[in-house]
Amino acid sequence: MTGAEFEGVDFDLLADFVGGALDGTPDGQRVATLVAEDPSWRAAFEALGPAMAAVGGALEAFEPEPMPADLADRLDTLLRTAETPVEPVPVVPTNVVDLESRRRARRWAAPLSVAAAVLAFAGFGATWWVSNQSMDNSESTAAAGSTTAEQAGALPAFAVTSSGTDYTAATLPDAPMSETLSTGLALPDESAPAAAVPKTPGLSRLEDPSALAACVDAITVANSGGTLAVESADFARFDGTPAVVFRFSAANGVWAWAVGPDCGLPGAGADTLQNLPVR
Amino acid sequence: MTLRDGPPSSAPTDVELVRAHVEGDPDAFAELVRRHRDRLWAVALRTVGDREEAADAVQDALLNAHRNAARFRGDAAVTTWLHRIVVNACLDRMRRRQAHPTVPLPDGNRDDDRPTGPEPVAPAPDQDTVLVVRDALAALPADQRAAIVLVDVQGYGVAEAAEILGVAEGTIKSRCARGRARMAMTLGYLRGNRNDGGTVSSRSEAAGSLPNGSERREPR
Repeated sequence: MTGAEFEGVDFDLLADFVGGALDGTPDGQRVATLVAEDPSWRAAFEALGPAMAAVGGALEAFEPEPMPADLADRLDTLLRTAETPVEPVPVVPTNVVDLESRRRARRWAAPLSVAAAVLAFAGFGATWWVSNQSMDNSESTAAAGSTTAEQAGALPAFAVTSSGTDYTAATLPDAPMSETLSTGLALPDESAPAAAVPKTPGLSRLEDPSALAACVDAITVANSGGTLAVESADFARFDGTPAVVFRFSAANGVWAWAVGPDCGLPGAGADTLQNLPVR
Repeated sequence: MTLRDGPPSSAPTDVELVRAHVEGDPDAFAELVRRHRDRLWAVALRTVGDREEAADAVQDALLNAHRNAARFRGDAAVTTWLHRIVVNACLDRMRRRQAHPTVPLPDGNRDDDRPTGPEPVAPAPDQDTVLVVRDALAALPADQRAAIVLVDVQGYGVAEAAEILGVAEGTIKSRCARGRARMAMTLGYLRGNRNDGGTVSSRSEAAGSLPNGSERREPR
């Protein structure tokens, strides 16, 4: 949004303020000060608040519309005659657990279970391999059953690079594939000094393998395409914002998926910035 | 509204239906879909803005869920899982449509002669307003539209919408706020909006295209 209608006012920022997205943040304080002291911001605020409320009211007035009968019938038939699930392993828990506790648990027991994963971290000429970490968790292990072990075997490793590339929606599908793994690089000395690790501003949290595993887990959930076969993760940027760009394949295709720094945090989901199919 | 409108107490829960389906009950998944299909359809229709695209997205999504139900591990409500799959299918179709754009007919149908199911049972009090608001909604960027459809149209909570879309709650708030602000500008709800000469315009006076410009990063 340009905000040209209210000169000097950052309209998106003001909309965030009105919508409560800045509550408790420094930006929220800054906008509050501007609204209090700057006549342009005050006028825009006084106009935008009621206008946004009016839009909300108009949206709420949409009449509910049931699924068309022909589609409902077609689905009913299809679902009754479709093949049984491709993975007939009963992993549905007998009890529905607290959502928050499961979300916390997922951080340490990713469905992809990178317990056996070795991450290759190569950037700016340096190569750093992150040793695997135990992600064992009794609750999730019990819930996932044998599937976890199968998935662990399905994802032995993926390459992590730090190219610093500033991807856009047009270039995202060109995210790098894992060539280092296919060339069979030897594991370097794990005692290599951490100073050799290329740092990506804003993404330091995800340089921790457990955080990266939780991020992959969150992407798995967001993708809803089953197990991911991750090919690469590139610490980079997307439209100027710090981002990790994953390339992976799943049951629903091959994807390039850019996530923000909060990927995998409880409540943050995958923090998806952009995701596009790779063709 | 809540996503967890439950079945009658004597009926199996959603989780029990998923488990029965995984264990081979041929009717369980269809029963699960019957419970939630109207809300799934509403989300798909409002998100995609085209009845046929929405029907295809819902069908693809539910068949995908049917095939992969064994991988549902109960770390989210069944309805959240179903909504997530449907919304992702919708967003995927919208991205493909952006790559290969078509021009939908004004009512959102591709072919007026082809029956596409019943229209709303009762007309809205002000059909013109509904159409204008619907057009303004359809003009939003996909991410903002999906958030607004879930929160403002369907009445889901911010936390639930965040879970469905796989983003932080702050991101949902921001997408909804920016989407409402864009719609307010499009609809001429803003005092001083130059689109209507400085006065508050009638709701039926939809502006044309939404303003473009580089977007700030949404807060999380």
